[in-house]
Amino acid sequence: MTPIGTDEWVAEAEQRRQGDSGPLAPLRRGLMRVPPVGRLALLVAGAGLLPVLSDSTFVVRVGLNALLFALLALGLNVVVGYAGLLDLGFIAFYGMGAYTYALLSSDQLGLHWPTELAILTAVLATVVLGYLLGLPSRRLLGDYLAIVTLFFGQAFVQLVTNVDRLPLPGGRTLDLTGGPNGITGVDQFRLGMLHLRTVQDYYWLLIVVFALAAVVFFNADNSRTGRAWRAVREDPLAAGALTIPVNRLKLLAFAVGAGTAGLAGTVFAAVQLGVFPANFTVTLLIMVYAAVVLGGTGSIPGVVLGAAVISVVPEILRDPDLSRFLFYGVMVSTLMVLLRPWRVLAAVLVATVAFGFAIRGLVDWVWPGELIEAGGGGGKVADALGSWVVMTPGNVLVINLAFVALIAAVLTLTTLRPAVRHIGLPAVLYLSAFVWENRLVTDPSITRQLLLGVILVVMMNVRPHGLLGEPRVEIT
Amino acid sequence: MNAPALVLRGVHKTFGGLTAIDALDLDVDDGEIVSIIGPNGAGKTSLFNLITGLYQPDRGSITLHGQNLVGLAPHQIASAGIARTFQTIRLFLNMSVRDNVMAAAHGRTTAHLWQSVLRTPVAQREERQVRAEAEELLGFFGERLIGYRFEQPAYSLSYANRRRLEIARAMATGARVLLIDEPAAGMNPAETHEMTDLIGRLRDERGYTILVIEHDMHVVEGISDRVVALDHGAQIAQGTFDDVATDPRVIEAYLGLRTAETK
Amino acid sequence: MSLFLQLLINGVTLGSVYALIALGYSMVYGILKLLNFAHGEVYMIGAFIGYGVLTAVGGPAAPVVPVWLLVIGMVVVAMLGSGVLGVIIERFAYRPLRNSPRIAPLISALGVSFFLQASALLLFTARIRSYDTTEFISLGTGVDIGPARISLVRLLAIGTAVTLMVALTVLVRQTKLGRAMRATAHDREAAAMMGVDVDRVIVATFFIGSALAGAAGVMVGLVFGRIFHLMGFVAGLKGFTAAVVGGIGNIPGAMLGGLLIGLGEALAAGYISSTFTDLIVFGLLIAVMLLRPRGLLGTPAVDKV
Repeated sequence: MTPIGTDEWVAEAEQRRQGDSGPLAPLRRGLMRVPPVGRLALLVAGAGLLPVLSDSTFVVRVGLNALLFALLALGLNVVVGYAGLLDLGFIAFYGMGAYTYALLSSDQLGLHWPTELAILTAVLATVVLGYLLGLPSRRLLGDYLAIVTLFFGQAFVQLVTNVDRLPLPGGRTLDLTGGPNGITGVDQFRLGMLHLRTVQDYYWLLIVVFALAAVVFFNADNSRTGRAWRAVREDPLAAGALTIPVNRLKLLAFAVGAGTAGLAGTVFAAVQLGVFPANFTVTLLIMVYAAVVLGGTGSIPGVVLGAAVISVVPEILRDPDLSRFLFYGVMVSTLMVLLRPWRVLAAVLVATVAFGFAIRGLVDWVWPGELIEAGGGGGKVADALGSWVVMTPGNVLVINLAFVALIAAVLTLTTLRPAVRHIGLPAVLYLSAFVWENRLVTDPSITRQLLLGVILVVMMNVRPHGLLGEPRVEIT
Repeated sequence: MNAPALVLRGVHKTFGGLTAIDALDLDVDDGEIVSIIGPNGAGKTSLFNLITGLYQPDRGSITLHGQNLVGLAPHQIASAGIARTFQTIRLFLNMSVRDNVMAAAHGRTTAHLWQSVLRTPVAQREERQVRAEAEELLGFFGERLIGYRFEQPAYSLSYANRRRLEIARAMATGARVLLIDEPAAGMNPAETHEMTDLIGRLRDERGYTILVIEHDMHVVEGISDRVVALDHGAQIAQGTFDDVATDPRVIEAYLGLRTAETK
Repeated sequence: MSLFLQLLINGVTLGSVYALIALGYSMVYGILKLLNFAHGEVYMIGAFIGYGVLTAVGGPAAPVVPVWLLVIGMVVVAMLGSGVLGVIIERFAYRPLRNSPRIAPLISALGVSFFLQASALLLFTARIRSYDTTEFISLGTGVDIGPARISLVRLLAIGTAVTLMVALTVLVRQTKLGRAMRATAHDREAAAMMGVDVDRVIVATFFIGSALAGAAGVMVGLVFGRIFHLMGFVAGLKGFTAAVVGGIGNIPGAMLGGLLIGLGEALAAGYISSTFTDLIVFGLLIAVMLLRPRGLLGTPAVDKV
């Protein structure tokens, strides 16, 4: 019980061990050595280089999406990460911001408000909506809140899809949202003298907005309010007994998160020049959640990293060569991290390759002439793959069976002892390559969805605090 | 001795058909240490929950220095001047020791979110002040919660230190009345002894009025100005430790002798 | 009057589907305090398994087995398949998280739901399938009640649901497993100490709940015909709403809630507007949560401090 001695040493060692493990530990350590302002400056500088280095509109658009995503993730992080509220209606606020801006800045209602006023109104509208949705949360347990908000998100999409024939008194109808066709011809931003026209313009704007938001949330986190949010997250009952107005703080978190999403929504509407119900579906919700969870709930650098990964990876998946590179790269590097010593790794890789050639040869011998060469891009890699992977993309039944078998095999592998697992690994790796080459590589949208689902489940199982988040304990 | 601080009159609470607190009157004077004793299920923690607003009484009044507390939300009652600890320690486990204490100062600080975000001088000054106060408060517990401990997450603390931190957190609310629920539960004799001292010091050095639930009779004997014994939600005895400890009804309640049904 | 009766029949049919889905939510929540977001997806997979059976025996136009056997086969196989799926989900996505922060299994559940949806898209494509029930169960047969008619297939669906619910009630009330389930729902740790194999109870709960959802999927396929990979999401929301309206964790409550939601939806579609039924159900959910947060048959709980 002496203040200095074993007690302290054990505690410090424990803390170090918990905070810094895993393959990303050096990155994390390095990042934490940089002061917050420096981190932000690095990020902004890096992001600012993108349009300088590449004049491709596509690349800048991907960057813009990443920034929008990061903004959304920062907003969601306040609700989920700081206050611990599972808000599954978050995307509705994004939609609300976008639609409000679109209504005030298009021919839909014949309104063309000044940009500043339209943005302000849209953000206020979302804040009010967030507040209203937060109201029932005062009485709801965490789980109930999740489902109410999820339903709310669904209701929002339904509403905007269907209020295109709003009955007015006098038998006329009002087309408020354009229904499934959305609102098009939305005005671009005119901020003072600046008329934002190109994707690049919006990219610069978003860098500024994002940097401001990051500062705002960092300061909020390290303040009286941030502490109270975390207290509410940790133990609402104790927080209440210690002078913290729990309900007010929950509502505040909801409103702040909603307002951030609303702001992101206005930019989205302006850059897309339109809004459509399909922009605000559950898929987007899952993507933002995946970003927050992947990076680490509660950690600002974490959610930014998560947002970058989640928004860039689907773009890589679109291109067969890049996505192939990503797939095998991730596969091999995961194996490199998980398989020690290197002899095991080498054995597994060699076995996988040999297994593939054997199967490929066997199939060729049994059904000669049935197989096609691996497609996409040509080059040595594709050629090599073509003589290794069995290619039969037309054979839907076989591929479907392989997909189900792959899931079953992966799940089974996780339950086995390491030694046994290593023996099964080559077959499973080959099976995954088979499913990948025959189906997934040609269907990036499905691959993306599968990937998002897997990220959520795996992260929760393996590293619930995300890549850069602080590990948390909870005693129940 | 002093003016009454906390006054309960005819407080009544039932859950379903079960009477948790039965027409209870209780007075706690300023600067007094009152121990609540009674067998398990006697309604001691229910009483704390009623005072701190976690439960609403069915009938009766609860006042602090004449201010009505019934119907107020827990955080309002805490701000009015009553803070508590919990039988099952409820720290903000993933927050640092210092942040645990600083968080409890929420009710007596005023910086709005926008002030914190803009780091206005007012907010900065308040932040510095709360921080200094928190560190000073933690110093009250000797060397145990200071220095490198400030930055440690609460979950890394030992059991006894968690109890101490919970008390520090209650003090940080600025309340003058502390409700301490089983401070010595699960502690070894040395720690128990220290806790007894600590509660005495809270009153002597800091002037707190203290209501404490405790099972350990050595602790009760060591700290109490007055002891109140509860059974089935009703007060069955009160007075000095010696009076209450020798009261036949108290002995009966504890030992469960049902020779004379006095109900 | 005729319209009202017809809507009533629609409502009861829909309600029995929702009730079956709600039961799974409610049972799992009762025992694990976990919202199984993937439950709607299990129901969707059940519908596809039923379709698979139908196709395997020759398709709706020319089944090689008698119709009664076909229907039983579809329901049973779908129940088994969905049940196993539920058990797998529990084993891999929830069990490792039993002692994590409360939010972790919820997010994991969200991930499973999304993964299953994408898998269904991959396996079955986005094409809407039809059971073409009218090919093997004539729409004309049925029972006339006054001016309205309950078609045979609806009767079948309602009958199946009622049978399953009776069976479940008997199981929970009368059997040793049922007793273990109730004990576990009441207090998991205490049950474990009294010798209940909690893991087995949880597995059984997931199996039964998911099997009921699978049956609901087949029923929807039979009555309403169309099945597709996104059908689980909204049905899951409605099923959950039914569970909450009835009082989550409460088995008769889930049945009552399902029936109410089904009736409410059918009547709203008939008398108000069919485009806004989801919004109306959503409004109902909010209203119940504000007025009676524990649901119609739920009992108020006391916070343990």
